Amino acid sequence: MTPSTEAAGPPAPSRADLPPRADQAATLVARNQLSPDAQLLRFESEGPLRVLPGQFAMVRVGGGGLLRRPYSYCDLLDDGAFTLLVKEVGVGTRALMNLPVGGEVSSLGPLGTTFDLPPPDLTPVIVAGGVGIAPFVLFCRRLAQSGRRGIVLLGGRRRPDLYLWDAFERFGMDVRVASEDGSAGHHGLVTALLDAALADAGRPFLYSCGPTGMLLRVAELATAAGVPHQVSIERRMGCGMGCCLGCVVWARPPSGGPEEYLRSCTEGPVFDAETIAWDRDPHPL
Amino acid sequence: MAEEKSATLDMGVEVAGLRLPTPLIAASGTFGYGDEYREVADYECIGAISVKGLYLEPREGCPPPRIWETPSGMLNAIGLQEVGIRRFLAEKLPAVRELGKIVIANICGSSLEEYGELAKILDQAEGVSAIEVNISCPNVAEGGIEFGCDPDMAARATEVVRRGTRLPVIPKLSPSASDMAAVARRVAEAGADAVSLINTIPAMAVDVETRRPRLANVVGGLSGPAVRPIAVRMVWEVARGSRLPVIGMGGIANAEDALEFLLVGAAAVQIGTMNFVDPGVWRRTFDGLAAYCRRHEVAALRDLTGTMRSGTAG
Repeated sequence: MTPSTEAAGPPAPSRADLPPRADQAATLVARNQLSPDAQLLRFESEGPLRVLPGQFAMVRVGGGGLLRRPYSYCDLLDDGAFTLLVKEVGVGTRALMNLPVGGEVSSLGPLGTTFDLPPPDLTPVIVAGGVGIAPFVLFCRRLAQSGRRGIVLLGGRRRPDLYLWDAFERFGMDVRVASEDGSAGHHGLVTALLDAALADAGRPFLYSCGPTGMLLRVAELATAAGVPHQVSIERRMGCGMGCCLGCVVWARPPSGGPEEYLRSCTEGPVFDAETIAWDRDPHPL
Repeated sequence: MAEEKSATLDMGVEVAGLRLPTPLIAASGTFGYGDEYREVADYECIGAISVKGLYLEPREGCPPPRIWETPSGMLNAIGLQEVGIRRFLAEKLPAVRELGKIVIANICGSSLEEYGELAKILDQAEGVSAIEVNISCPNVAEGGIEFGCDPDMAARATEVVRRGTRLPVIPKLSPSASDMAAVARRVAEAGADAVSLINTIPAMAVDVETRRPRLANVVGGLSGPAVRPIAVRMVWEVARGSRLPVIGMGGIANAEDALEFLLVGAAAVQIGTMNFVDPGVWRRTFDGLAAYCRRHEVAALRDLTGTMRSGTAG
């Protein structure tokens, strides 16, 4: 249930510890256009919903292609509503972004593994790029609820791509930003902010989600510094239920044993970064 | 078992000696090892489960990207990533048996000997009711489709499985065979109890911006509603051209789709890709079939098999 705060490292995820899954109708109740090509969508599901940070939903929307599309739960609100952060990349995201308020989707979730709260003596340092910030809103909400503070590094091409910056500040996080065009914060990649953040954190626990290049760089720095690091991996998915085997990542299983293709929907999307063989599939998407 | 329907409606079917409480079977490769969907699918609507294809040893499968969506369909090149027969029997089979479902083991070999060995092992296993023989996977280097395209090879694979087991043997046919009815006749002679079809259709897609194939394996198998009319035609041909019972599949998403297969001669049907899209497909299809039977005053669903009429719908 509650992610362990005693263990030195995160426990291996067990299906039994995760909230129940359901395929539910969800109604779009509000849309917030965050940038020209990104929206925060607020849904109300027909039944109860319990979600842990890092988990995702497989969403089906009319006109959005045959297969469902995976979206991290961005936030879970007190009244049972949830939000999704959507950036236009294809037919599935486009259909969702064009759905009128009051329109319905089918939402299968919550799916996958979760970000664990760091042990009490470690400071969370979150590194997120673009829509990779999505799962960290709920995570930071949970951190704030436990009286925890952390450092959040946000990166994007331009200022409008630094989504929900203010939400992280409301949760009391130390937010630092980088933009590739220099329109906000550090001029360059978000990973340039990492050394200083790790130093400021003292004893850090890293969390990351975003473009593969960014994840790779964070993983290298984490390994070099001996810092624990959980990463949320994004892969094309067919089912989200562990059956199509389309979303695999070459990694060491949580239970130990040799590397194999693990399902990012079931053994992930949140992995211990050091278990992933980053060089195995150079063109993963 | 499936539903407290009125006593006058019998949804059960019999195929390959299996008495199924409903005509709906979960297709191999789309339903894991059987219990993955337990929280979200209506298992009482499921007549049997054909589990993910098994070899003697575990296989890592193809590198990603492995799937790509196409109009009304999907391409996949998973390459039969699987846990191997022993781990299946020790770890996966007990979980699906707890659900009380009829389990069909789907097997694939890279040689005739491997097919035979798998059949012998499964014959001794408790809780497996039939063997579906995959002679039609398009995504593995050896075995698979090369057995399914050649009637002689298909017959030899069937024969070796037949010799290894008393369980019902159901070769799964490839749509790439030039004459599927001929393959069905040959596997019938070799001891098959039924055939299932179709496996996916070899297909590919290209990203024109990068000029690279969408799948790491380049070629994959096409499935989903896009293939359904092709599959219906093939089931019709095989049902007319051989005496074996046919289990039909190809993009079934609802009762009307399932009925097409039944009417052209299928004794049962499998639901595959649509599991990914909508786990509610089981309840919707089952209820729709029951409603159809009542509307058409059919007392036993099995009586619908092969009842397509001549002349056009108009």
